[in-house]
Amino acid sequence: MAPDNRRLQGPESTFSYTLYIPNNRTDHNVVEQISSDERRKDGRKLNEQRRIYVKTGVVSQAKGSAYIEQSNTKVVCSVFDPREIPRKSGYSVNGELYCEFKFAPFSCIQWRSHQPDAFEKECSLILRRSLEPAVCRHEFPNFQVDVYALVLENDGSALAAAITCAALALADASVPMYDLVVAATLGVHGDKKFMDPTVEEESLCNILPPDGRSRNHGIITAAFSPAHQQMSEFAQSGAMDIDCATSSIQLLREACESIYLLSQQCLLKGVTKMLKKKQKEIKLDLSSDRIAC
Amino acid sequence: MAEILLSEAEKTFILHGVEEGFRCDGRMRLDYRPMEVETDVVSHASGSARLRLANTDILVGVKTEIDTPYPERPREGKIEFFVDCSANATPAFEGRGGEELGTEISNSLATAYQSSQTFDLTALCILPGQQCWKLYIDILILECGGNLFDAVSLAVKAALHNTRVPKVKGACLDGGTVDLQLSDDPYDCCRLDVSDAPCLVTLCKIGDHCVVDPTAEEETCSSGSVVIAITEKSLVTSVFKTGVGSFHPQTLIDILKVGQTIGLSVNKALRAALLEEEQQGRKKECFGFLK
Repeated sequence: MAPDNRRLQGPESTFSYTLYIPNNRTDHNVVEQISSDERRKDGRKLNEQRRIYVKTGVVSQAKGSAYIEQSNTKVVCSVFDPREIPRKSGYSVNGELYCEFKFAPFSCIQWRSHQPDAFEKECSLILRRSLEPAVCRHEFPNFQVDVYALVLENDGSALAAAITCAALALADASVPMYDLVVAATLGVHGDKKFMDPTVEEESLCNILPPDGRSRNHGIITAAFSPAHQQMSEFAQSGAMDIDCATSSIQLLREACESIYLLSQQCLLKGVTKMLKKKQKEIKLDLSSDRIAC
Repeated sequence: MAEILLSEAEKTFILHGVEEGFRCDGRMRLDYRPMEVETDVVSHASGSARLRLANTDILVGVKTEIDTPYPERPREGKIEFFVDCSANATPAFEGRGGEELGTEISNSLATAYQSSQTFDLTALCILPGQQCWKLYIDILILECGGNLFDAVSLAVKAALHNTRVPKVKGACLDGGTVDLQLSDDPYDCCRLDVSDAPCLVTLCKIGDHCVVDPTAEEETCSSGSVVIAITEKSLVTSVFKTGVGSFHPQTLIDILKVGQTIGLSVNKALRAALLEEEQQGRKKECFGFLK
């Protein structure tokens, strides 16, 4: 829904019923699960990612689109044709990328409003910053390419999934690019590093760990282009010491390299499917010509 | 940011200078420009500060208001940042022009102050679940001369240091409504603990090296910068990249390490300046906006 900038939303007086559920503190359960046998609640090891499914060409009305599923996190991304930059009079040598990241109102545990809030606006900025270095902006001067990412279900690492999905959608839309961008998320809590955290683990990483060996906590989302070995975005929140931040760069890089192979395969599949379809169409045209004459 | 038009020759000049370790105004790569900070410039605000970093001029006002805490966090107060890029700074900010930049800066501050290790929101609680203090931190960009993130974060830290929250002597729940008793003495206030508040450090990548505190011209020459929020205890609370460039992972690691050392020294310098200003007490010369 388009944001209505002239209307000021009054404060919402509704809140989630989960507040009244006794013993709703899930963070203790998550920590207990790990300390028993080094495996997380869903059976993964600390540095294991969830299984990913990607597909391009899902939205028929968009120039290019992609859909990604990372276990329960589902994101769909559409890219539209370049159009003139609205509200701009001067000429710009490079094209612009307009990115919008939105959670569907039913996607998270708590209801999200239709108007984008501050967190969604920040995610839109991060999405744009991750994709801009990879797009050949000089190929469409004075034009803007729209990228819309919608999270249908949020089970953690929605932003990283959206970045990977958006890069595939851009490639599917035939926007000239230097390389595909892939992204991964790392959650830090105390001295444990969760690769590809679920929504429970993410909320755990936003809280200060109890007095223990280390008081590091936070979430890091990093976007990487493996062909040129360039990190296009590194967004960290929380509080951690510098060694934790620098060591996570290597972990995220390895995770991104493995996702990159999947992205490439998906794109290849999309292209071969399109070529086969074209071949079939050419054959049908020829046969229909024979029938006509 | 204002449109700075530079010729190719000027850009090459800056680039080569940075590689040699010299910048156009005579600084080394990791030197800051001289900064002036003054607190308590706005009389109606609970806390205020004005910071001048060469051409960049930032004014921060902190207002304390009473609000109800979030239902899922009943023992915490609230803090909200708002950045107003006024048209005074540059004509590009006229109307809605400065909104995007303003949202970016306020979001970055909100992320940097999010962790309870940086700013303890439980200190702002009055009556758990019923009433808490809400700090409205309003930042006005009066003049834009490059390096907004650093200047804004230092000014915010100085303003929070100066903030005086009225002391609540008693609070009782009287049939659904809260009755507060504030102290009779208007000067009886509590101060906020900003020892762990972070400072943002912008490291701008020009060529193969990174520079600290870039001027507006240097910012046009660079492909990207990394902004790090560092506390006095050397904790990284927020990292993000601005600009359209990308970094090699090793470069990113080096930039983070450099940022950490600089962040520590900037935090110390600000602390020393604020303590010195406080020690002057009544004898402090108020310059306000005259200087």
